[in-house]
Amino acid sequence: MASAIERAGYLPGLAPDEVEWQTLAFDRAGAPLEIAVPVLSDAQMAALAARVREASRQCLKPLPVARIIDIIDAAIARLLDRTDPWRRQAEELLPAITGYDSEMIRLGLTEYLKTFRKPQLTRFVAEDFANPQSLDDFQPLPKGGFARAFGPDLLVHIWAGNVPGLPLWSLISGLLVKAGNIGKVPSAEPLFAGLFARLLAEVAPELSDCFAIVWWKGGDSAREAALLREADTVLAYGGNDSLTALRDRLPLTTRYLAHGHKVSFGMVAKDALDTRKAWDAAHKAAYDVVRYDQQGCYSPHLFFVERGGKISPREFSHYVAHELASFQQKFPRRPLSLAEAGDVAAWRHGEEMKSLAGPEREIMSGAAGAWSVSYSEDTDDLAPSGLNRTIRIVAVDTLADAVPRIAPYKALLQTVGIAATPRELFRLAAILGAVGVTRISALGRMTAPEAGWHHDGRFNLLDLVTLTEIEQSAETAADSFAPYVD
Amino acid sequence: MTQDRIIEALLAFIENDDASDEEFDALALTLFAWQFEHNEPYRRFCQQREKTPRRIKSWRDIPAVPINAFKDLTLSCSDPEQAERVFMTSGTTQGGVHGRSYHADIRVYDASMIANFRHRFMGEYDRIRMGILFPDEIAMPNSSLAHYLALAKENFGTDDSHYLLTEDGIDQIRLLTELAHAETSGEPYALLGASYSFVHLLDEMRTMGESAELPPGSRILDTGGFKGQSRELDLDEFYTQLSSTFYVPRDLCINMYGMTELSTQFYDWGNRTCPSVKSGPHWIRTRAIDPLTGEDMPHGETGVLVHCDLAHFNIVSTILTEDAGIMVEDGFLLLGRADGAEAKGCSMAVAEFLKAARN
Repeated sequence: MASAIERAGYLPGLAPDEVEWQTLAFDRAGAPLEIAVPVLSDAQMAALAARVREASRQCLKPLPVARIIDIIDAAIARLLDRTDPWRRQAEELLPAITGYDSEMIRLGLTEYLKTFRKPQLTRFVAEDFANPQSLDDFQPLPKGGFARAFGPDLLVHIWAGNVPGLPLWSLISGLLVKAGNIGKVPSAEPLFAGLFARLLAEVAPELSDCFAIVWWKGGDSAREAALLREADTVLAYGGNDSLTALRDRLPLTTRYLAHGHKVSFGMVAKDALDTRKAWDAAHKAAYDVVRYDQQGCYSPHLFFVERGGKISPREFSHYVAHELASFQQKFPRRPLSLAEAGDVAAWRHGEEMKSLAGPEREIMSGAAGAWSVSYSEDTDDLAPSGLNRTIRIVAVDTLADAVPRIAPYKALLQTVGIAATPRELFRLAAILGAVGVTRISALGRMTAPEAGWHHDGRFNLLDLVTLTEIEQSAETAADSFAPYVD
Repeated sequence: MTQDRIIEALLAFIENDDASDEEFDALALTLFAWQFEHNEPYRRFCQQREKTPRRIKSWRDIPAVPINAFKDLTLSCSDPEQAERVFMTSGTTQGGVHGRSYHADIRVYDASMIANFRHRFMGEYDRIRMGILFPDEIAMPNSSLAHYLALAKENFGTDDSHYLLTEDGIDQIRLLTELAHAETSGEPYALLGASYSFVHLLDEMRTMGESAELPPGSRILDTGGFKGQSRELDLDEFYTQLSSTFYVPRDLCINMYGMTELSTQFYDWGNRTCPSVKSGPHWIRTRAIDPLTGEDMPHGETGVLVHCDLAHFNIVSTILTEDAGIMVEDGFLLLGRADGAEAKGCSMAVAEFLKAARN
């Protein structure tokens, strides 16, 4: 049993008693837990930034990327081992912090961590770099000359939300390009990033100064500024308002990569709606809804369901309701705050009001509002669900009919989970891509992006580096200065 | 049951200070049956929840209509075209869409307001000189607050009570004259209006370098919160400033909590401490519920407020608000709005989506 107070963060060079700590209380799953988070002074933050920057130059930049992959792989192996103390700590504390069902976290964690094993990381690098060695040394370019990719000395991550493990994507991306990393954890889940950092330092003590995990209270712009002014590159997650505010506070020369909140949805073609396959599709669609209670940017808000199959869209919505009810037994929804419950209730009431207007709508809800399905015919534009297991199902004549409705939201779209024939899949992908969708997955896989995916359609690693090119002219000119020149 | 009989029963109930719980329940159930029969959208709402008059045994079981529904549905037991008054919400928090309350016969609203206001605001006075920081009913014919304040002025204000707002804001000359009159005459004075107007007033007083030592017995009534129409002030700070600027003790700074979707108001007994305990008269009851299950929250825990207001007879009597509160002895603590949770993850919440989609 862990002690009641856990320390979050990872602060190389700073002893715990040199730092001020603030306590965050969690009582999500009926097991009260307190997490102490560090509150650094400006001077401490500056010193930390200098230390990480310097260590990344000295210790990380000279390492071949293959060696970095080996180190991450070794750390991930520890987290995949359910008997390992680090893994046990994560399994014990994450449910208490986030309120998500512990079995869902356990399964989700394993599935997620598998994407960071050596073969997957090698593929991750190869996705972005045709020649991964260009992270280690100058490599010849087809146009002539040579190029080498340099990661930033100090990459600052601003993380948000409570989906367990999410910070690993960007932290590992930063490590792969040999950046010094300082990540700011959100109050909603302050623990896991620091845990991973400490594990990494244990696996590779030589890198222990190359990263740090800090915290400040959201909106504490003084502390935020103390770190941001040191950053070469800032990678931030969050809502559009906070991302805009952050951008406005950055120096023009700081590279800024923002991942705003996104909307995702699903599409079920009539070919997936025969009596046998429809249950499977409904099960998978419900699973995408249940996983982390729709808190992910890849989580579905609605499903467009095509008419003309053996199972009608309305029947399909009943199937999904049934599956959500049975998932509630297996993976109960996390306890909601009053504000969240209010949002869910408001959404459901809104749908109820619309359903009073006529028979083309129907709303189904679980006991105590544990889930809700709102079925409608044709009339709905893309609109988000109330989150926390509330889903809209919209019947359409053809799936392509749905596309004009989502087109206005181009900047907000991310994942589409599709159940359709191969021909239909590629036809839909073409028109969805054109209106801004960046990821298409199978139903049931919406919340588990594969290794090396391009988050929001961007290059996770390439976006972090700058290339230094030796043009052919320099190479040729150098020849004339060689000691062996004739 | 006819509308006249309902009105008759309500007016009698409002008069009856000794009404028992059983009498409240009986009238609430009578009204529910009346509304179920005559208010078609409400009937469908109840049927969807399998709540019919036959199955309801207590006011606590009556289905509460979310106030958002007042935008989408025409909730009225009589022809809305024939309504004597229609009050609309300002729409500031609802994207410009107005919720409507149709009052078939305004007598019940007026009786409710008058009896309650006398009891909760007037103290030992029958009439008091008033300054009103809100537009009048001619300027805002669909504002329930404008009507409320007009009733206050007409029934409890002296003849020389005034509106202190013009189209250009606070009428400074009138204001200063009134304050000076109170100071010199020693006649108690009452300032009434929207909370945000008081913030503007405090700002103006400070700019002018003015304060007023209002005579003993003077009092202040604010209502409605700041709604983004003025600076947002901490409540403690707000009442401290009001009290120090006008020399009105915080015990006599009364906050009224009312809604367009109700015909009865709640008051506190002053704001010596914040949040104050709010309570209403015997013809309105309140619960704090879990919005998802509809069950009462355990005592002392925050829930969303549901009000059952018998006086709102022509519309629906039981509404689900968006206000968070805690039930306490003698009333409830009002804690502000209970929506707009921050997204926990990177998925988009409804409010953010609407905002982003507008850009």
